[in-house]
Amino acid sequence: MSQASVQKHGTLQERGHRIFDTVRKYAHGAQEIEISLVASTGEYLRFGNNELGQSQYVKGRTLSVRVASGKKQARTTTSRLDESFIQKTVEKAVAELKTAPEDPDYLPMLGHQKYQTVNRYHNRTVEESAETKAGYVAHAIELARNNKLLASGVLGTNMDEGLMLNTAGLESYYRGTGGNFSLTMDADNGNQTGFALSTFADISELDPKKLSETALERAKLNKSQTEVSPGKYDVVIDPYAWSEMLFFFIVSASAGFTPDFGTRQYKEGRSYLSGRLGEKILGDNVSLEDDVMHPLQMGPTFDGEGYPKSKLTLVENGVLRALASSRISAHRYPDAHPTGHELPLPNPLGETPVNLVFHGKGPTRTTEELVGELDKGLLLTRLWYIREVDSRTKTLTGMTRDGTFLVENGEIKRPVRNLRFNQSLLDLFSNIEKFTDPVRNTTFGGPSMLQPGILAKDFNFSSVSPF
Amino acid sequence: MISTRDLGEQLAKIALETASRDNANYADIRLVNTVIETVSMINENPASEESNDLGAGIRVLYQNGWGFASTDDLEPENIRETTRKAFALARGAAKIGSKLTRAKEPVHVANWESPRKKDPFAVSTEKKFEVLKDVTGEMKAEGVVARRGQIISTKIEKYFANSEGSKIYQNLIQTGAQIVVAVKGPSGIQRRSDQQYALEGYELIDELDLPGKAPVLTKEAIELTTAPGCQEGRSDVVISGDQVGLQVHESCGHPIELDRVLGYEANFAGRSFLSPDQLGKLQYGSEHVNIVMDATLSHGQGLGTFAYDDEGVESQRKYAIRKGKFVGYLMSRSTAESVGELRSNGCMRADTYQLPIIRMTNVSLEPGDWDYDELIEDTKDGILMDTNYGWSIDQKRYNFQFNCEKGYAIKNGSVEGMIRGPGYSGITPEFWNACDAVCNKKSWVLWGTPNCGKGQPQQVMGTGHGASPSRFRNIRVFGA
Repeated sequence: MSQASVQKHGTLQERGHRIFDTVRKYAHGAQEIEISLVASTGEYLRFGNNELGQSQYVKGRTLSVRVASGKKQARTTTSRLDESFIQKTVEKAVAELKTAPEDPDYLPMLGHQKYQTVNRYHNRTVEESAETKAGYVAHAIELARNNKLLASGVLGTNMDEGLMLNTAGLESYYRGTGGNFSLTMDADNGNQTGFALSTFADISELDPKKLSETALERAKLNKSQTEVSPGKYDVVIDPYAWSEMLFFFIVSASAGFTPDFGTRQYKEGRSYLSGRLGEKILGDNVSLEDDVMHPLQMGPTFDGEGYPKSKLTLVENGVLRALASSRISAHRYPDAHPTGHELPLPNPLGETPVNLVFHGKGPTRTTEELVGELDKGLLLTRLWYIREVDSRTKTLTGMTRDGTFLVENGEIKRPVRNLRFNQSLLDLFSNIEKFTDPVRNTTFGGPSMLQPGILAKDFNFSSVSPF
Repeated sequence: MISTRDLGEQLAKIALETASRDNANYADIRLVNTVIETVSMINENPASEESNDLGAGIRVLYQNGWGFASTDDLEPENIRETTRKAFALARGAAKIGSKLTRAKEPVHVANWESPRKKDPFAVSTEKKFEVLKDVTGEMKAEGVVARRGQIISTKIEKYFANSEGSKIYQNLIQTGAQIVVAVKGPSGIQRRSDQQYALEGYELIDELDLPGKAPVLTKEAIELTTAPGCQEGRSDVVISGDQVGLQVHESCGHPIELDRVLGYEANFAGRSFLSPDQLGKLQYGSEHVNIVMDATLSHGQGLGTFAYDDEGVESQRKYAIRKGKFVGYLMSRSTAESVGELRSNGCMRADTYQLPIIRMTNVSLEPGDWDYDELIEDTKDGILMDTNYGWSIDQKRYNFQFNCEKGYAIKNGSVEGMIRGPGYSGITPEFWNACDAVCNKKSWVLWGTPNCGKGQPQQVMGTGHGASPSRFRNIRVFGA
């Protein structure tokens, strides 16, 4: 058994065009019509307590219809693709359109576009049998059992395919595959833990044995922890440890969870970055790009309204250089031009980068080399439950988990109990001394992120957990 | 157009017969039809969307292995194929083995509809936009950088059937709203917000009086931009009911999830400090702390209220903490016997037609004896903290930190000047043992938390938390 299945209704494009004809048939009175048809399958072998207890296969399709007239628009979505349901969905959208308030920023739908091509669909990811993947999981469980540990985690693979069409002549299509193997080995009710993660587009990239050995090695090391005092420590942060932290660099809670690197938010003063373009906000050796064409990136080369994505250097050598933008911003502000970072419309939140590449300047190291170059400090293998404390300084709080180690003279000396941190990201990203190469690190449904392991000075820990 | 209940009956027959032919030990199917309407305004920009998601989730037990498959293609042949996928996954899981058992549950044949006075889907989107325009209009003021409002209406129809003979149809209506105003000033951007979500109809939105709250929140947000921060140290704190609700969610609700305790969530959501040997022994909190797990309607119309959970177990009311002592877990049929219980207390819930997992129902702090005014008068020197801003807790649910949108100094029994961004932190059992006063029913509200994440792939669930303002002694406090 695998995720691959025969498409009984032809290709997604063929079906999408047929559905678009149906939608147009029922969209009486709408001047403009857009549809998005998305199909996805996923297989998730989820295990815990050395048991394969929550294996799941999921298959879904979604049709989303946006209709507009004048400056009014409405959107309805359905998972039922029978004509009667499509009719109901379209008629609901048209009914909503009649009473919708005008959107002062509404722009006519985008016409035909040319896109850069990417190949992000890997047959093996969808064709790999559940039996083969279960073998990877069984190996991890066996390794854990043999070492008196409990394995838990998930090996998931997914395929996503999407088509957007509109009455202005736009047609955009994307399909891609992805997956991740997230593994914890623990004992003593979670007092002894080790974690490893791999994310991939092509399952051929996955080395399940190496992943299992990494989790095992860390679990074996992370036993009988002692306490260290809260305070400032130099740290090495594993590249897979801090995706949630980078997410909160581009999103703030202060205006109700809104993205910060968009032109509209910047100009309206909603972003913590407002007024700081051209200003040095991070260290000289730090750059942040949005680059959908990076070979490790995932996702389509167009945005939520079908506009082609451009590469952006958001932060260059510590200086805030650019913002994500869209047609709406370009229409509102004379100094803005569309960069392909709109979310599906209508979108009052504003634009956001979704293909982040965070990297350092100079030669890179491996995580092990970073540890070797740490005189005294802590190795953090996973950060957890990160939330914003203060948007102005981008101070975040969160916890370490699954392996925090005291390092002296470049060597791991002993495991320590988990610590809570309260740390300004602006300070952290000004205190990075060394980097690994960025790795793909997309596991929680947020933006697609590439980020390195880092060695940074003066990371602020505020308290200790009892384990 | 065929009803969800009738379609569910047809598909259940197909799935259960398919599983039976393959010699499955047990199977169940849920057909779930979810309609969500979201109406939003941010500044002058409106947005609305109505989504309708109908699909089926099928669980199969083969020997001691579970498999699950879901689909939104509801053609009979695809339901057979989906059942076979679930069966194949169950057979693979059985090779590795499981210690889980299956507690007995009576067969239920039932129809249940949640109470609602005003169907939110019968209220026009135009009317909802009018409310939100009033809200965002009332927020206009010098320094305001974001004015937001959102009304969400949800209808969930579920048909459940299992190979033991249960056949259950439920129809639930949930409504909720959130409004936010953000003001930029000398201390950066300050936020004030208000939200509530419940198993109610549009009457909830009427009762919330969002346009009436908007100018009050705006005034407070402006005041926060020049208010002093909270001094770091230790203090008595009085925490508002909504914030106590979130505190219960994070530091009581999650650690009592038995799947976490048994290690099934160790990779993502984490474990729990509440190992089974502490059941009936651990003094979790002071004698004032009584926490119930209550999905029954008699507890209130919360996001954790229903008649049957997503594996067909009838809703129940049980204590998790009684007079401060830890006495019960949130359980499933598969896990109940691991802690000596003969029956699940009905906590298996799924986001749409995904895999059911143990989730909070309504996990609530029972009201105490104090009138709110008496509690303030009784507090000599403390800080009143109100409305959550941020929340974080370790994977075993010991070490937490919360910060709030606003606070006030309490001096000699009266509420004085405003404090910007107060926060508090602690270790769960120490914190709950420091609780010396819980306000009475007059200030008790069943709060809705609409966005609890758990599972891989992650599912989002609404949970309910009844709480009233409560006092905690000598807590570590700090400023944002």
